[in-house]
Amino acid sequence: MSSASRARLGEEVWKTRTDKINAELVTLTYGSVVAQLCKDLDGDYAEVNKQLDKMGYNIGLRLIEDFLAKSNMQQKCANFRDTADVISKVGFKMFLNITPTIANWNSDGKQFSLLFDENPLADFVELPDDGKAQAELWYSNMLCGVIRGALEMVQMQVDAHFVSDLLRGHDTTEMKITLVRYIDDELPQDDE
Amino acid sequence: MNRETSPFRTPSTGASPTPKHASLTASTNLRYSLTRKSIYDRHLNRTKTSELSKSAFAFLFGEMVQHAQKKVYGVQDLEKKLNQHGYAVGQRFLELLLWRDGRTAKRETRILGILQFISHSLYRAIFQKAADTLEKVRENEDEYMISDNDPLVNAYVSVPKEMSQLNCGAFIAGIIEAVLDGHCFPAKVTAHTAPSELWPGRTVFLIKFEPDVLEREALRVGG
Amino acid sequence: MAGSSTSYYFVIIGTKDNPLYEAEFGTFKQGGDGVPKFREEQRHMNQFIAHSSLDCIEDLQWASKEMYLKAVDKFNNTWVSCFLTGGNIKLLLVHDARSDEPIRQFFTDVYDMYCKTLMNPFYEVNMAIRSQIFKAAAKKYL
Repeated sequence: MSSASRARLGEEVWKTRTDKINAELVTLTYGSVVAQLCKDLDGDYAEVNKQLDKMGYNIGLRLIEDFLAKSNMQQKCANFRDTADVISKVGFKMFLNITPTIANWNSDGKQFSLLFDENPLADFVELPDDGKAQAELWYSNMLCGVIRGALEMVQMQVDAHFVSDLLRGHDTTEMKITLVRYIDDELPQDDE
Repeated sequence: MNRETSPFRTPSTGASPTPKHASLTASTNLRYSLTRKSIYDRHLNRTKTSELSKSAFAFLFGEMVQHAQKKVYGVQDLEKKLNQHGYAVGQRFLELLLWRDGRTAKRETRILGILQFISHSLYRAIFQKAADTLEKVRENEDEYMISDNDPLVNAYVSVPKEMSQLNCGAFIAGIIEAVLDGHCFPAKVTAHTAPSELWPGRTVFLIKFEPDVLEREALRVGG
Repeated sequence: MAGSSTSYYFVIIGTKDNPLYEAEFGTFKQGGDGVPKFREEQRHMNQFIAHSSLDCIEDLQWASKEMYLKAVDKFNNTWVSCFLTGGNIKLLLVHDARSDEPIRQFFTDVYDMYCKTLMNPFYEVNMAIRSQIFKAAAKKYL
């Protein structure tokens, strides 16, 4: 499947096969989750990142089924480049109505970046001015976990983490995704 | 400004304390991206018609419930946590909706007015449909009910066995409570499963106003 | 009092009668430089005038459904104007001449910025606002 037809597929799934909801409800609910975590963990942002990632991972494990059913994708991705394309143009499109840009491939084709021009989770957000949050908190870290969990269900172990965020005053929001290995007929590891 | 003799209450007094951490919003210590507008430069209507997938919300909400469940002592405690999340969302929607009404914005000053605002305008803005009924509880002067045949939050969430009494509508109850509180109609709002033949997930939000609210209302009817 | 010496005291009051933000502005109209020209005793009075108007507002807020209550109280030659948000946050302006429309516009801008502040999940109702964002609104309309 070509990149262009994936973009069409993503559009089609979004337009015709997706029940939609007020984006502000999702944004504010996510905000409440993050803010509550920051309070519960008393500003230990490293731990907040970890919890967000873990919550995302749990979501990813379950989300893949919904993704496969709606996108009706039968074939496995031929390579990691294809996987990247599907994540951006079909996956993100289907759930968050955005298509992050794929960039910064490394030479062996096992690592790329997603650049988020738009991020509905971060609408209205300004990080706390406590001298720490902008250096330590990855506000949208749940997304990393989602990708990690979802790919694990289709036999790919990946590492996903943010390397920059507009909320931190950087000029981009960039997530790096690295293929660790293809999992062959093993049960997925339990992260809990 | 003269702090020592200021007539205003300082945040440390009062029965329920105001939040500890003062906001430093838009102060100079934050770094700002050159490519992102600050929250003050973005129009509040930018996201007015934005949509995301219902399943994105369902996954997020489901995980929020799962996560909250880990540190609670039972259904009531869990419902309280969901209520708090809803409360934070409700406080924001209340101001956002009034802001969007611009010059025609009205504050509701009567019980029926605010309940209609909640079951129509607010419900429609958040859930794209009005609530199904709004009724007064006959036996109790201070109680009202809003019902939703098929609340969004119950649609996808699978409740664990030991929590079978949980109604995730506690989240919506929190939204309603925040709006009532914000408008000076303090009340306790709880979500109750009330299935009908047609609607197995039907939920009733029971609203119990504080005595002050009824006293004020009685005065207003008289004057 | 000449127009260019007009000064304003602005305060945002939270739901527990706690101030969230206070500022003084001078007028920017008629060649004003935006610098407040309150005498020391007047600065102190402003806070008391604003505070004592809270009782009036409590009565008025149930008699009107408007958010902008216009001038709600008067003390000698000083007026207090009020805008009441949906979440019962009071925007109060202490000023020395009635001018309902510019003050409405000022409050409208302030409300816009208050809503933006509130939409941030890290802000909570009744937290102090330390930002300078409201100055711009004063410059535009007062």
